Amino acid sequence: MPTDDATQPCADVPLVTTDERVALFRLVLLQRLFEERALALYRQGRIAGSFYDGRGQEAVAAAAGLALGPDDVVCPLNRELATHFAKGVTVAEAFRNFLGRGDSPTRGRDGNMHFGVPERGVFPLVSMLGDLVPVTVGAALAFKRRDEPRVAMTFLGEGAFSVGDTHEGLNLAGVWQVPAVFVLQRNQFAYSTPVERQMLNTSLAERVYGGWSIPCETVDGTDAVAAFDTIRAAVERARAGLGPQAVEAVTLRIHGHAAHDGAAYVPQELREAYADRDPVERLAARLALDGASSAQLDQLRTEAAAAIAWGLEEAEASPAPDPSTLEDGVWAAPLHGL
Amino acid sequence: MRAALADALREDERVFLLGEDIGAFGGAFGVTKGLQEEFGEQRVLDTPIAEEGFVGAAIGAAWMGERPVVELQFADFVACPFDMIVTVGAKTHWRSGQAIPLVIRMPSGGGVRGGPFHAGSPEGWFVGQPGLKVVCPGSVEDAYGLLRAAIDDPDPVLVFEHKRLYRSLKAPAPERGHRTPLGRARVAREGEEASVVTYGSGVETALRAVDALGADVEVLDLRTVWPLDGAAVLGSLARTSRLLVLQEAPRSSGVAGLVLSLVAREGFELLDAPPALHAPPDTPIPFAPELEDAYLPSPESTARALEELLAY
Repeated sequence: MPTDDATQPCADVPLVTTDERVALFRLVLLQRLFEERALALYRQGRIAGSFYDGRGQEAVAAAAGLALGPDDVVCPLNRELATHFAKGVTVAEAFRNFLGRGDSPTRGRDGNMHFGVPERGVFPLVSMLGDLVPVTVGAALAFKRRDEPRVAMTFLGEGAFSVGDTHEGLNLAGVWQVPAVFVLQRNQFAYSTPVERQMLNTSLAERVYGGWSIPCETVDGTDAVAAFDTIRAAVERARAGLGPQAVEAVTLRIHGHAAHDGAAYVPQELREAYADRDPVERLAARLALDGASSAQLDQLRTEAAAAIAWGLEEAEASPAPDPSTLEDGVWAAPLHGL
Repeated sequence: MRAALADALREDERVFLLGEDIGAFGGAFGVTKGLQEEFGEQRVLDTPIAEEGFVGAAIGAAWMGERPVVELQFADFVACPFDMIVTVGAKTHWRSGQAIPLVIRMPSGGGVRGGPFHAGSPEGWFVGQPGLKVVCPGSVEDAYGLLRAAIDDPDPVLVFEHKRLYRSLKAPAPERGHRTPLGRARVAREGEEASVVTYGSGVETALRAVDALGADVEVLDLRTVWPLDGAAVLGSLARTSRLLVLQEAPRSSGVAGLVLSLVAREGFELLDAPPALHAPPDTPIPFAPELEDAYLPSPESTARALEELLAY
């Protein structure tokens, strides 16, 4: 798809190098193309259960993932596939989970985005909003206790801001001054409920700073370059021992909560406001302004499409889960006589 | 319990304690008294009143390989972090292979006029939850040994410490480093006429009831109530052919149902009498002494239940 002339390019932030911009572009493309392919598979009935994607939020996922170091850990939610890829989760692993294969990260025990790969520092998503906030704080507490220069990150949206666990976790992060980073995905809706029906003060940054004294910058979440610059700075402040940090990334969730949800409740004027802010195309436009030729950009798109195709092929060749193994691994140390 | 915590803190730097008022104050029941002084604020961490928060944080620290030991002020408050325990703590290993070596200690049980929010026995909420282990020590030796084993264990272990036993049980501390294996019941008293299967405070109650009766009754202390040591229950029944299940939790909750279902399925032919249950009614635990005393199984009421069973 050629870059639309009306698309606003990402900001030209000098601190973000060309290599980093290209790395971000690879990541947003991977998430976009993976989700487009997986949604098609879901509609064909080849992916069971439900389907969630992060269309419109890829830049935040990519920026946050790229801002993390190899020893940092993260608890992504279900709009952050690019964060998984940035942490080294492969396309094939992700497809295996969507397809429910026996060698998927959850061995077919959980589907879609409900997975993590602990050996790559990615905690498996749980659906209860807010739960992963205290878990992230606890991982960061371990780093602080051991004096390790590592950071723990999680994501939360407006919906999670109505959950008590979120408040408890943010409060603990502040009291304990742990190296945790909270990326606030302000995507305008919690399922179908708009932000103004969830909170009176609709500025997440103001609430996080005012409520828990956690520094929080707001950034345009459709701008991968700006988001990366802001999130990386937050990660490095946390790593430097300056306590928990947050970034509010403003986006629009382009699709519904899940594939069954047409998102007809999203006002037309809001959609129009985001029409020229597709995160993938904004970054492509930035790279073009930076001097990348359309052949170079096409090459990156082709490579990403190929990675998706190979990953899917690999995942489809994976075995189905074996029902006789279902009771394996309920406990790390099973007791006798079960 | 304090010796077990102190020894674990001494031997393994990954171990740290967190909970409300456990530092300078030493915990609501004094279990952690002096530990912060000895091990410092980083090892014995006071928390805000935020059970979901600090249980979740303990899970996160366990994910990173630490060995957090949480204290809840009262077991009744485990209702607050229930989601963290059953959603994140219990299912993570099965879903992802990531072990969560977490211990949550909590004082449970009645007899102290605590009423509906400070004297409950909610262990049954977790019995049957895949991925969790639930222990209820009923002796001084096991109070030490089960806690040490729980801290060693790679799974989330809930330790229900009966608050009456904190004071009523008196015995020399076991040898340092003693472990009570998880998942193994113990015969607290041998006998041939009937088996009382119980745990926690029920062990002391049953022993006193049997002494008062002068009957030849076996008392089986489950120690780990989930997963259940089914072989020990059936083994005891094979010796005695009569079963009384005794618990302090409401009669339709938790452990009793598990034991009785096992016996109905796999021990039916061992039985000479219908299996009996002695447990409080299906109400929250009441406050007033007249009500609480009538509610809780006593040695006397347990002896009467045993007499009925033996007379069948």
